[in-house]
Amino acid sequence: MLDALHANLVSPAVLFFVLGLVAAIAKSDLKFPEPLYAGLTIYLLTAIGFKGGVAISQAGLGAVWLPGLAAMVLGALTPLWTYPVLKTVGRLPAVDAAAIAAHYGSVSAVTFIAATNYLTAINQPYENYASAFLAVMESPAILVGVVLGKMAMNRSGNFPEASLKTAMHEALFGRSIVLLVGALVVGGLCGERGMSKVEPFFVTPFQGVLALFLLEMGIVAGRRLGDLRKVGPFLLAFGIIVPVINGALGVWLGKLTALELGGATLMGVLSASASYIAAPAAIRVSLPDANPTLSLTSALAITFPFNITVGIPLYLAMARWMYA
Amino acid sequence: MNTHPMKLVTIICEAHAREPVKKLLREAGAHGYTLFQVEGEGSRGERTAEIQEFANIQIETIVQPDVAAALMEKLERDFFPRFGMIAFESDVRVLRPKKF
Repeated sequence: MLDALHANLVSPAVLFFVLGLVAAIAKSDLKFPEPLYAGLTIYLLTAIGFKGGVAISQAGLGAVWLPGLAAMVLGALTPLWTYPVLKTVGRLPAVDAAAIAAHYGSVSAVTFIAATNYLTAINQPYENYASAFLAVMESPAILVGVVLGKMAMNRSGNFPEASLKTAMHEALFGRSIVLLVGALVVGGLCGERGMSKVEPFFVTPFQGVLALFLLEMGIVAGRRLGDLRKVGPFLLAFGIIVPVINGALGVWLGKLTALELGGATLMGVLSASASYIAAPAAIRVSLPDANPTLSLTSALAITFPFNITVGIPLYLAMARWMYA
Repeated sequence: MNTHPMKLVTIICEAHAREPVKKLLREAGAHGYTLFQVEGEGSRGERTAEIQEFANIQIETIVQPDVAAALMEKLERDFFPRFGMIAFESDVRVLRPKKF
């Protein structure tokens, strides 16, 4: 475990992430222009989607559908157990509990990408088609969370501009989903021959782009650290304990659906990660009474750094233990 | 030059409020708007515009005075309690008043 942790902590991606955190804490004027952030996101999602699509074309849909379905169900069910915990143990208002539950059921693409990068670096093989799990896990939990929040809000007044329909549209046609699913389909149609054409662009520079992107994410997460004071000890603990539980569930479900050790680790990483782009966008318009500081701070300033540094090697260790 | 009095309503808000505000403008009877990304600092902290979703946006619309009054009222009632947002109106003079 310590070796695995060390290997992760000294990878370029994680060190650049730490650099970003330090820059933000030191109030450096280092910042990325918005178009660069958007461009790097597009690159990473397209590359990972395309690679996943090519892998599906090789493995066949028959190998992918069962773990994919399991991933989707796991994502959708996560809010159902975190919501009551947030409400009763955390004593949070129902609408905040629903919003946070949605964030934790949904996934973080960057965490997933960093995990694939880590597995590659330590020569741990994994199923490349796991990016399909990333694609199907983003939306269901958001919709479940919105429904939970709406049910609670009906008793306390409503906001005319917010509807389940807008949340559905955000969750299903947000730019990350469109890019990821689109690239999966394109990769699936092109197969290995297509891969050989785009490999110099989508595969070779990938690690460098990821390192640059994590530098930016370090800055973004670091700026949120000040908000930690506002969220209280319960959410601090929640943001670390829940990923560990969800990570274990994900790894276990991966094993149950016959994934290899690497694939099960990735399923654990996905289950453990929390969304901080797609979920806030959908939740802000559909549950505007929820306090965004709570959900965004726990997902972005607690869970994301935890997963990037300690979580990923921890889920691998869990997988090694379960597969031993 | 024959100019006509009209109201300019300016809304500065978190980017996540974009769609609800656009919907409100349509329903209130605004015939158009201009939207741009901005950064700034206010009661809810600093918003640096490096991620589109975390940025602020500024929406400007020129409308008839009665539409402006209705808009401001709805913003105050439904939006201010929920979103990071400020809004203000000012007097402007326009050509082609039918456009607004």
